[in-house]
Amino acid sequence: MNVGRWLGYGLGGGLVVAGIAGLVVNAHQTDPLGWALWFGGLIAAHDGVLVPLVLLAGVAVGRLTKPSPVRAALTVAAVLSLVALPMVAGIGRRADNPSLLPLDYGRNLLVVLGLIALVTALTTIALRLRGNRRRE
Amino acid sequence: MKERVETLMRSVPGRFTSGLHSERVAARLGLWLGVSFTVAFVTGLFSHFMQHPPGWLSWPSRPVGLYRVTQGLHVIGGLATIPLLFAKLWTVYPKLWQWPPFRSLSHAVERALVLVLVGASLFQLTTGLLNISYAYLWPFSFPVAHYWTAYLLYGALVIHVVNEWAKVRRNLWAREEVEPREAVTARRRFLGTVAAASGLTVLFTVGETYAPLSGLALLAPRDPHAGPQGLPVNKSAAAAGVTAAIRDPGYRLTVTGAVRTPLSLAYDDLLRLPQHTVRLPIACVEGWSAEAEWSGIRLRDLAALAGVAPGSVLTVESLERGGGYRSSEVRPPHWNDPLTLLALRIDGAPLAPDHGFPVRLIAPNRPGVLQTKWVSKVVAG
Repeated sequence: MNVGRWLGYGLGGGLVVAGIAGLVVNAHQTDPLGWALWFGGLIAAHDGVLVPLVLLAGVAVGRLTKPSPVRAALTVAAVLSLVALPMVAGIGRRADNPSLLPLDYGRNLLVVLGLIALVTALTTIALRLRGNRRRE
Repeated sequence: MKERVETLMRSVPGRFTSGLHSERVAARLGLWLGVSFTVAFVTGLFSHFMQHPPGWLSWPSRPVGLYRVTQGLHVIGGLATIPLLFAKLWTVYPKLWQWPPFRSLSHAVERALVLVLVGASLFQLTTGLLNISYAYLWPFSFPVAHYWTAYLLYGALVIHVVNEWAKVRRNLWAREEVEPREAVTARRRFLGTVAAASGLTVLFTVGETYAPLSGLALLAPRDPHAGPQGLPVNKSAAAAGVTAAIRDPGYRLTVTGAVRTPLSLAYDDLLRLPQHTVRLPIACVEGWSAEAEWSGIRLRDLAALAGVAPGSVLTVESLERGGGYRSSEVRPPHWNDPLTLLALRIDGAPLAPDHGFPVRLIAPNRPGVLQTKWVSKVVAG
């Protein structure tokens, strides 16, 4: 074991302890039970629901297509949809402040997904044409 | 029975047949995540200590757009991290099912810290995303929980990096074995897809702080041109409960505390003082920013008029009755800066109620929450 390793453990351990201490000392603001439910709930939702779904989707897509721009496009589209979800849902809208979430996010997400589909279609066609030319 | 379960459990990791669940992919993504979490941690600490500076700390008022850039990096960089984290966790997912789960005490501690790292990463990115979308779906105070969880995340990350550094080096810098061509192609394709997802997330959101790209900000929670007087608002006059108070004809701006001459000025008195015009951004902790042309009185002129000592700390107070940001401290570098105004106008027109009518503070290199609105009092200390 070298010095760098122990310095790393010391620094990392110190930060972890500081984090836990801060969460506990400020319990009136951090609501440890609510915090723990979010912390554990997110791990459970990710490892127990999201990843298994992604793995199933991966198997399905893998049977349908060979690695292609379509696979990449589906992955990118799924991630962008997830990032846009809270805005599309519009939970944060407030009547007194129209400058919060001012756009039509449902429509915008469709525009983004449409753009991804367009680029994917063009790429696929370009790859096919190139493939054909090579075979000729 | 027990044996059959064991055999089954031992066979789980082998069922993940994709070659992308590999050390090499994990090393590359780990490196990217290490960089992005470091940027988020540093810019986050910067933002925290700008909002809550210890007594000995006086932030400079320049460069004007520093906070705008650091907080933009924090939020837009955080959004870009979401695809990276998903990809990394997918890559190493088979390791979740390793059997036996713990080989030794140190292995158990290592895995517990990985659990902390995973949980804290998911927590920071999810609460961050929901917070900029104004979906406060939790019982805790977001800034406090996000702040302390950052230490937890970064500490667990440092330990993880120490443990995995040899693998990163082996996979990224010491190429010995020859890989099959398909494996290289598959890895490049996967990492390219992840980079594309990150890049597009940035492309469709960064316009909320970088105005030239605002037309592309299709998925950003803010449009830097949307709001009263073409400027976004965080807290409306109605939400602050000041709609009546700001229309009161008896309104006075007072300058008190450690002053030679206490001042009490009506709105018309303020209009008669020398006016200055500056172009400054409002840079919100939520990552958006927008520039405007502000006109009003220099805070340092007002301080000079009242005879405030140059080293004093000024507290600017709002007509708001409560709330965490009803007042803010302005330390010497900021209030002595000629760009710092008590603004009366935006683009030549009186402030809209939601922008702080009759008077608001606007200063360079300062988080938006500290640009106090509906100002009625300046106290020198």
